[in-house]
Amino acid sequence: MKTMSHLAPDRLAALSDDTPSPIEAAHITTCDACSAELAAHRKLARMAAAAQVVPGAPVSSFDSLVPRLRAEGLIAAPDRGAMVRTWSVRVAAGLALLVGGGVAGRMTAMRELPMLPTGGAAAAGGASNASVAQVGSSFKTSDDALRALAASQQSYQLAAAFLAAQDTTAHFIGLNQNTYRTRLKALDDIAAATRAALYQAPQDPVLNQYYLGTLSAREATLGQLRQVTPASSKMRSW
Amino acid sequence: MPPTDQITIRLAINGDEAALRTIWVQHAPRIDALVRRLVGDPEQAADVAQEVWIQIFRALPTWRGDSQFSTWAHRIAVNRTLNALRSMRRISNVEVEIEDDTSVVEHDGDRSLLAQTIDEAVQKLSPRARTVFVLHDVEGYTHEEIADQLGITSGGSKSQLFKARAKLRRLLAHLVDAPAPAKEDEDNVASGT
Repeated sequence: MKTMSHLAPDRLAALSDDTPSPIEAAHITTCDACSAELAAHRKLARMAAAAQVVPGAPVSSFDSLVPRLRAEGLIAAPDRGAMVRTWSVRVAAGLALLVGGGVAGRMTAMRELPMLPTGGAAAAGGASNASVAQVGSSFKTSDDALRALAASQQSYQLAAAFLAAQDTTAHFIGLNQNTYRTRLKALDDIAAATRAALYQAPQDPVLNQYYLGTLSAREATLGQLRQVTPASSKMRSW
Repeated sequence: MPPTDQITIRLAINGDEAALRTIWVQHAPRIDALVRRLVGDPEQAADVAQEVWIQIFRALPTWRGDSQFSTWAHRIAVNRTLNALRSMRRISNVEVEIEDDTSVVEHDGDRSLLAQTIDEAVQKLSPRARTVFVLHDVEGYTHEEIADQLGITSGGSKSQLFKARAKLRRLLAHLVDAPAPAKEDEDNVASGT
């Protein structure tokens, strides 16, 4: 039978994941030294593979990356983002005004509350569409529109606070727990749809407007639902 | 490691700083570990890792989602790191070969320290042998892929790998010659318990 000397270290290293030739295999089975060396190499390979999954503390620093990312335009300019958010919040307030104004308008049509402001959307819930159609010709600049939104929001909040204090809403326009819950469900659906869309277009002002406006309307509806819900019944959802 | 979801990546592409940070937080431990292993020197590794991350963030729009994000990011990290190593070697024009086989790396039984011990031994390899060993035995690249990356032949990659393994075998003799743990202990180590 042909004999051979010990396998070279590099060859033993190769055999940790390679197939030995018949002669090499025969030698390894009869040579304790080469067999032990091969076992050691295979153990080393296992340890190296195990070391792969052990992450270490990062040597990079995100904070140090930020100036370069910003310089290269990979991070959106902060001022622009802030402007978008501010504008979105203002417009959302306007949407809340439209939603809430519709409710208030319907209520005034049924009860003719003389103390409500005579101007703005709160005065005519049924005229919302007409108002929207006239928007293009009502303002000369964006600032004009934003000032109008802010003023309308203030009027809406005052009116809503007054109506909440008077507790007239549910009684006079026939809203009850079921209708509030139906509205909440619809608002949740709208919020979910706009939220999903925002993941695709996070800076889209129209989506931001509808999303934030929906959340505002939802909060208002929750408050109204609490008012018409008997104290003995506990709200477990919404 | 949690998978980086497409929403986060889309937000990051749109310049959302928080999303970019999320990606970095999720992947920096492994990406940076890879860079550190390939580069060796900690200070140089930190510089290269910064460049790697800039490159990953620049390339985000090119990720098509047809592979794991981590795999895609790793490829970029390897490419960028090897480029950086080539540049560094051109500048220094010296390949530092450390042949101090007499030194050994101390062993600790803890799993993360085991990885650290192997890392320290790997740093004692020549730059080329270290690169081939990390790419093949740690990152799972084939010899053909390594040859393509490094501009060498597949046989050259194998030769470097076997030399690296043989040297590590000597450097880590105290680890690999230690008696194998009982099966139950081995399972516990594998599961991290």
